[in-house]
Amino acid sequence: MKVVIKYSLHDYIRSHKYFPPVSTFIVLIAVFYTYKPNPVVDSYAITALFMFVISAWLCMSVLSLDSPVQRQLLILNLRSSYRYYLAKLAAVWLIALLLAVFAFLYPIIFHLFSDSVSMTVGFVSIVNHLLLAALGICIAAFFSSVMMESAINAYGGLALTVILSIAALGIENALPASLKYITWIIPPATITQKPLFQWEEENLTHLSGFPFLWIMVYTGIIMVLFLIMANRKR
Amino acid sequence: MNQLVELKSIKKKYGKKTILYDMSLRLEEKQVIAVLGGNGSGKSTFLRMAAGVERPDSGQVVYADKNIRIGYVPERFPNYLRFTPNEYLHYTGRIGGISEAELKQRISSLLHRFQLDKWSDRRISTLSKGNIQKVGIIQAILPQPELLVLDEPLSGLDFSAQQELLLILDELKERGTSILLTYHEAPIFEEVVDQAYYIKDGQLTEEKLVEKDAVKVIEVKGLTDIDVQEWNELINKERRENSLLLYVNSENSDQILSRILELQGSIEYVGNIDYKIE
Repeated sequence: MKVVIKYSLHDYIRSHKYFPPVSTFIVLIAVFYTYKPNPVVDSYAITALFMFVISAWLCMSVLSLDSPVQRQLLILNLRSSYRYYLAKLAAVWLIALLLAVFAFLYPIIFHLFSDSVSMTVGFVSIVNHLLLAALGICIAAFFSSVMMESAINAYGGLALTVILSIAALGIENALPASLKYITWIIPPATITQKPLFQWEEENLTHLSGFPFLWIMVYTGIIMVLFLIMANRKR
Repeated sequence: MNQLVELKSIKKKYGKKTILYDMSLRLEEKQVIAVLGGNGSGKSTFLRMAAGVERPDSGQVVYADKNIRIGYVPERFPNYLRFTPNEYLHYTGRIGGISEAELKQRISSLLHRFQLDKWSDRRISTLSKGNIQKVGIIQAILPQPELLVLDEPLSGLDFSAQQELLLILDELKERGTSILLTYHEAPIFEEVVDQAYYIKDGQLTEEKLVEKDAVKVIEVKGLTDIDVQEWNELINKERRENSLLLYVNSENSDQILSRILELQGSIEYVGNIDYKIE
């Protein structure tokens, strides 16, 4: 699997397809921090949402790199479509990891926060970035060329899902109480925002761990579903 | 001989169109089977099922061992690859579990045999069709597969590469590899193929092709279809870009050869062939 990850990253770099999502992310972060004030927790919560969207975009482009024939050959050599797709998702997550580190360090290095970043806040923020990256990747996998032949359906479906995910809090507030549970099926990209905004930064015990756990569970479920469906597509 | 792979009652549809109806085939160790048929007959689909890269809608593909090593040359090997042949073969070999040291030696030997050494550090996307096909063939034989599936492997290959491929197929067969292939260049493979089947209307004819030596193929240049239109001894004829392929029963071949010479045609090739008389 390590070789497939290396192969995918090498191929992605050669393709230059990383340029649009990566440069967009860097510009977003740079522009975002030009406005002041920048409270630490809130700012990191917003950049984690950027991470969610950009990771989805990265995933779409990485999964479109191999043509169906090339995919068949790699799966044949690897003898497992599950390992092939896991390696692809891991490759995207590694790129997202670099972007998360950039999003985390950029405001610290350039002293763009009004306060200093404590270890606890730093830890929670980086975990939030990485979890939302994983969520974005797994959602996008469902709309990638592996699953959908039509690019319009793929990008249209993903855009709609991403918009719904970001608007989930608003949707929940607008719905009558009896229908609020429907929002549980929407990808939980904003579920960590509320507790983070309300967090006092004192220690981890004041922060609800449930939203983070729910992102992990949701991501895990859709990843397994993607692997099963992609395997059946052969 | 031990059975290596069995395709049982394979059916495949694309949309509403049924490509393969209830097709079955057994391939034994060291056996070379050709699956022939016209364009769009379903040969490539059948080969993809045998290689395990595509699933049938119904039916089963059963391998003697689930860890069997399979090499597959697709009908159209990707021509956009951003790697050099060296890099690409190294990656596919490593993905296939070949050790670093062994891989280097195998890649270098195969690149040399296919005269691809001098192109080994240029990106595949910049290579000619023939050289890209060579990379496709090398990636399939690199893991020394037990089952080798070749979909029109000669496409774009020059004469020396075709001969090298035949030699390699012979060596692989000797070593125990079973080969399933499809092709249009019948005379070239006649010495390698043990048995040939024909796909027509989505079904594989159980009927074996006529015995070797019963039909000869004569490749001739300098004659037109009109020159041979009244030669009733011909079983079939095929127009190639620069030549004409004439299929004739062996007992009539001398007579045909004499006529070609009388008309000052140039005989490029004469060989025996497995040929299905419809």
